Amino acid sequence: MVILISFDIDGTLEVGDPPGVLTMELVRKTQEAGILVGSCSDRPISGQRAIWEKHGIAYDFAVSKHQLPDVKAKFEADVYYHIGDREDLDRQYALAAGFEFFWPDEAASEPWLK
Amino acid sequence: MVKQGIVPDDLTKPFWDAANEGRLEIQNCSACNRLQNPPLAACSQCKSSDNLEWKVMSGKGKIYNYGVVYDCPVRLLQEDQPFNLVVITLDEDSGIQMYSHLPGTSVDDVPVGASVEVIFEKSANGQMIPEWQIVS
Amino acid sequence: MVTENAPASMYRTTEGLGVWEHKGKVAAVGIGHSPTTRRWDGTAENSMGANSIFALRQAIADAGVNPADIDGLVLDPVTTTGAHWPEGQEIPMDVVNHYNPTDDPLDGIAKLSVEWILKNMPELSNVKFTMYGPGCMSHAIVVAAQAVGEGRTHTCLVLKSWHNLEGRYNQAGISASDTVPGVFAMTPGRTLWGAPGSYGTALQFAEYCRKYGKSHDMMAPFMANSRRNGLLFPEGYWAQHRPEELTTEDYLNARWIAKPASLFDNDIPIMVSGAYLFTTAERAKDMKQKPVYIINHASSRGAQRSILPTLDEVEKETAETGRKIYEGAGITAADLSFENMYDGFSLFHQFHLEGLRFRGMQNGDALDFYQTDISIEGPDPVLPSGGNIGSGRSRFWMHTDCIQQIQGRAGARSIIGVKPEIGVSGGPMPMGGNFTVWSATPD
Repeated sequence: MVILISFDIDGTLEVGDPPGVLTMELVRKTQEAGILVGSCSDRPISGQRAIWEKHGIAYDFAVSKHQLPDVKAKFEADVYYHIGDREDLDRQYALAAGFEFFWPDEAASEPWLK
Repeated sequence: MVKQGIVPDDLTKPFWDAANEGRLEIQNCSACNRLQNPPLAACSQCKSSDNLEWKVMSGKGKIYNYGVVYDCPVRLLQEDQPFNLVVITLDEDSGIQMYSHLPGTSVDDVPVGASVEVIFEKSANGQMIPEWQIVS
Repeated sequence: MVTENAPASMYRTTEGLGVWEHKGKVAAVGIGHSPTTRRWDGTAENSMGANSIFALRQAIADAGVNPADIDGLVLDPVTTTGAHWPEGQEIPMDVVNHYNPTDDPLDGIAKLSVEWILKNMPELSNVKFTMYGPGCMSHAIVVAAQAVGEGRTHTCLVLKSWHNLEGRYNQAGISASDTVPGVFAMTPGRTLWGAPGSYGTALQFAEYCRKYGKSHDMMAPFMANSRRNGLLFPEGYWAQHRPEELTTEDYLNARWIAKPASLFDNDIPIMVSGAYLFTTAERAKDMKQKPVYIINHASSRGAQRSILPTLDEVEKETAETGRKIYEGAGITAADLSFENMYDGFSLFHQFHLEGLRFRGMQNGDALDFYQTDISIEGPDPVLPSGGNIGSGRSRFWMHTDCIQQIQGRAGARSIIGVKPEIGVSGGPMPMGGNFTVWSATPD
């Protein structure tokens, strides 16, 4: 089963501003499990890439908040998840793009592995 | 798309009362023969409040300009975004502007310059609000 | 001591006033900035009041003056454009009482008074002239300059502070309620119709693009240039916290807020304070820093006919502002070395530029101008400060940069393609603002 997970940064990942509950180690572990990972954030795309590179994570995508449909079009997966902390910019955008959605604290238990 | 309810105040009550009765009325200074919107305590030209009245409009206008709101600060409208937010000018005076969500028009498909006519929609507390739709 | 808002007579709002009577008699001699943060962390040490004191003390030290020699203080008492203390939320009295409070517990937290500053800066023992220049630093600067010129104060501090709180800007209060007052529903505010703050500017920009055949994409070089310059501003937010460039790809892929205004066309609200020390040209000769003379200030008080300014109204007002700027300084557009006009919404910077007739441009030329060399290394530096886009919302990076460029203290941001002798800064809006002309020489 091919899984793709998109991470918001600010308020979601530990490196965000404000810092979120999800660690970069969790992201790394997720990727090592063969899951496609990337970011979907209001941060400039070049800035998102820099974060991934700084933490040694070979991200599959880095996009702006409204570009989840492009991610879905580019990557064929059995299920798509987006994780974020905002009702409007994360959850609503995710559902509109056909992604399933987790809040950061829900994602901390890695429900996609179950 | 339901807008916030309106609690009319002394200055704007005539406008909102007229809307409830299906009329578009704009404040006018009879001395200057000059419409003004939004309404003010005095005429912006002669600075007098002695000659202010409310004038019934034809309800016809033109689309002057528009934007598309993707990130709206108003809680009640957030579930409707993105939506058109259009500036209408009145046929009686192209210097008078009104806002509209242009119901019935696709997002970002707004024909600048097109003719529009007023309609009235209910807000969250039942107050009627002037809206505009393209004249087909 | 009762502090009042500056009267209308302090501002030069019309054409035909001739050269400013105090041209070259007032000088900027000290600069101070607090550290920047994104939001308040709730501590006394990082409060807006603390930042204010920090910036003022830094300006005093920068000028090398004895605080007891300072006899004037001008500040903007409003410290927000959209982050308000939530109604009903308890005010942290430990923070309030960490300082010498005034009768208003939010003083020093979410608003600022002269009284609060003087109670908490005992070294300012000789301040006799105080005045508010409400609006932003641009207002406070022209008030202070006029006051020094008139002899109301000979050595005057000028302060602008910002607070920023948890939560999203402009989302609380009336934006969250189910009803609004009637008059509010009819004014060009952010409620009822759901217009974000950048909506009005976005519409003027849309009209501009239709009229002159331009596009939003053409803003990209200006945005990249502004962020680049901002990253060379060590006092600024991005340089201090997130030193990221803003590439063309970043800008063109940003989501819309109020199309055609995208995310990065909006500045980021931050907490920061900035302060300057102004004095007479005579006193400035003996001070630590090279004096930067104020050779004019001008104010715009344009009023639109209806809800939003039209492009015609904006172009008329900015052209008039440009004429007032040059008339009072006794210069022409050709004398400007650089410009630092406001950019809080990036999409109106070109209106300011065209109003200035910067480098001879006319209405409709600015976006094409952005495609040329507008860098600090070139002959036509646009916004060398990087503005709010470059460093976060302070509305004073532009003023600081003017002073620093002329003093030769702009560091890595120094203009090198043209000798920085005369610069102009100000804002905020094309339809309303205050503008200052800075010069290396008094005449």
